Amino acid sequence: MPLEAAWLIPLLPLAASLLITVLGRKLPEGGGWVAVGTGAIVLGISLFIAVQTLMSEESFRQSFTWFSAGGFELQIGLYLDKLAALMLIVVSSISFLILVYSTAYMHSEGPRRPRYYAEIMLFLSSMLGLVLADNYLQVYIFWELVGLCSFLLIGFWFERPTAAAAAIKAFLTTRVGDLFFLIGLLLLLVHFKTLGFEELFALKIAPDQLWVIALAGLCIFGGAVGKSAQFPLHIWLPDAMEGPTTVSALIHAATMVKAGVYLVARSMPLLVQAPENLLIVATIGGFTAFLAATMALINNDIKRVLAYSTISQLGYMFLGLGVGGFTYAFAHEAAGYTASLFHLMNHAFFKALLFLGAGSVIHSMHTNDLRQMGGLRKFMPITSLTMLLASLAIAGVPPFSGFWSKDELLAAVFAAAEHEPWLFVLGVLALAVAFMTAFYMFRLWFLAFAGKPRYEQHHHRPHESPVLMTVPLMLLAVPAALSGMTLLLGFADLIYHGKPHHLSALEVLKHIFTSPLTYLSTGLASVGIGLAYAIYLRDWSIVLPKPLTQIKNGVHKLLEQKYYLDRLLVEWLAGRVTLGLAWLVERFDSLIVDGAVNLAAKLAALYGGVMDLFDRVFVDGVVNGFAQLLRIFGQSLRRTVTGLVSDYASWVVAGIVILMIFYVTRGA
Amino acid sequence: MIALSGYVGLSALLLTIGLYGLLTARNGIKILICIELMLNAANINLVAFAAHYQNAVGYVFAMFSIALAAAEAAVGLSILIALFRLKRSSDVSLLQLLKG
Repeated sequence: MPLEAAWLIPLLPLAASLLITVLGRKLPEGGGWVAVGTGAIVLGISLFIAVQTLMSEESFRQSFTWFSAGGFELQIGLYLDKLAALMLIVVSSISFLILVYSTAYMHSEGPRRPRYYAEIMLFLSSMLGLVLADNYLQVYIFWELVGLCSFLLIGFWFERPTAAAAAIKAFLTTRVGDLFFLIGLLLLLVHFKTLGFEELFALKIAPDQLWVIALAGLCIFGGAVGKSAQFPLHIWLPDAMEGPTTVSALIHAATMVKAGVYLVARSMPLLVQAPENLLIVATIGGFTAFLAATMALINNDIKRVLAYSTISQLGYMFLGLGVGGFTYAFAHEAAGYTASLFHLMNHAFFKALLFLGAGSVIHSMHTNDLRQMGGLRKFMPITSLTMLLASLAIAGVPPFSGFWSKDELLAAVFAAAEHEPWLFVLGVLALAVAFMTAFYMFRLWFLAFAGKPRYEQHHHRPHESPVLMTVPLMLLAVPAALSGMTLLLGFADLIYHGKPHHLSALEVLKHIFTSPLTYLSTGLASVGIGLAYAIYLRDWSIVLPKPLTQIKNGVHKLLEQKYYLDRLLVEWLAGRVTLGLAWLVERFDSLIVDGAVNLAAKLAALYGGVMDLFDRVFVDGVVNGFAQLLRIFGQSLRRTVTGLVSDYASWVVAGIVILMIFYVTRGA
Repeated sequence: MIALSGYVGLSALLLTIGLYGLLTARNGIKILICIELMLNAANINLVAFAAHYQNAVGYVFAMFSIALAAAEAAVGLSILIALFRLKRSSDVSLLQLLKG
């Protein structure tokens, strides 16, 4: 199979989406099996192409001119390098498993299933197209399509006001980032006449054009902040949990939010030209990771805990990317870049597993509330076991996948802190996040699966989910547990920025297990797990002195209110400031713009009036005056025509007399 | 023998009387009579000069003129009759249909 077959990867799901849109109601499972079949084919092609790309030293590019206008050409094309290959594997494998899971999870939706599958396939097509694009414009097109699909899928149960509001919130919040992205692209297009990756990355930037690169890079990162739900545009993601759980797993954990990370990783050659930008990336990432982790600590909605956890882990990835690019600017070595993408892959697997597990619990319990679960381990052995595996992975317990990538990431941050003290602060934040992650994940697991049931047992009979849901869980558990091992198989030799790291498995192990950081982060995670065990399973309640209790309650309230950020951003910024701005603009419009238009209209009317007057008085006056003159003339002539024969005779005589006088005087 | 100037004077007198009547009369009969007077004034002139110059053309013209006067009287009278039938009067000032 030639590499050109990669064109099929986005096109097949698109075709499936159209087919399901048209024929969905007649297809088995509302088009679900068509979707699964397409997903399987796409997975096959993707794996083949990804492996081929990872094996070869060179990247593959094929592009056509879409159209050319003015001084630049816009291309549509295919770009396959190792980064794209990694994303291909992650997106296509997870989406395939989620599609299989969906056939059971969405079974009860009846006639709405075609809409679900059509939207999911369109989403898949856009995400794969985004990953394979060879220029920023194409990325932007698919980027917006991904945003659209996310809007549609979050609002899948659009009759619920909260779901409809969440869909709008997600769409509008990410639009803010998209606007920055677009501005960045326009800057690049105007100054460098191209949006192709290879062309842009090969540019020799003159020092006086460095500001363009810096500003465009910042704007592109702004787009990623929106899509990947980073502070301050993170507010949409927890609300997006209103969609079906499969959608949360696919879009808001495994793939779509990774588009932002992918974009920043892809733009790394541009970003490293302005190292200050990368400090901003790292700072926003680190800060978001901390902020979101604290909010996950107290949430009682099983999906929202996972949502905050996703934001937090994405923050980790941006921290890694920022640090990697920053060190690259000095040392031409970007350990953070590799660690970040490594974490992206691992996170995709264990977070998809966590969401699907949560879906399985919700499917059985018909509630999202952790307070109404408990002791589900006995009834749902497969779900609870796979969830435990994923929790261990995300908490960073060796040897599960999260341990390797989180450790690499922290190591990269602290290594870079030698160049820049500020990064040390971010590193400490990241360590705190590691502790909190372990705590809230095990809080979730203990509350849901361990302990005594807190629901009414004669109403609810919890049951394990059907095979079509448990098999994807088990299949995902394998990479969730083991994908970290790829580090030992040479992940760092394949995915890198700058130069490959070329470390053997033994060297990697030695490197990890001789570093005190490893023991510190693992120790923190263990303490987190232990604390969750003590508080939520052993019911330890620490008696605090009164002032401390007050502080604790205050913090709890602050976290419950999400730091008032939602209210600040939605009510105050979106509500007041934007409305105020809109009011100002409206005033400007109605006073200045409308005023100018009205003035012009009035002037034109005035001119018209003058012309009208001229026409009436002068032109009409001449015509009427002439007519009047003729009338007076005719009136006076009229008097001579009496009709009396004798009068005419008098005229004749008068004529004769005149003639006679004339002849007589002439004769004389 | 009466001198030529006597004839011409009579003729001029008659013509003037006829012309005066023509211009002043309202009655159609009167107008016809006045026209007759003026025609005959012309006839006297024709005959007088024919005798004076010994030229017969003048007589011939006078004869034609008398025949023409008869025809004219016939036409004029019939118009008057038509007028009388229409208006019960022979006053030509009633015929003002062409007044502007």
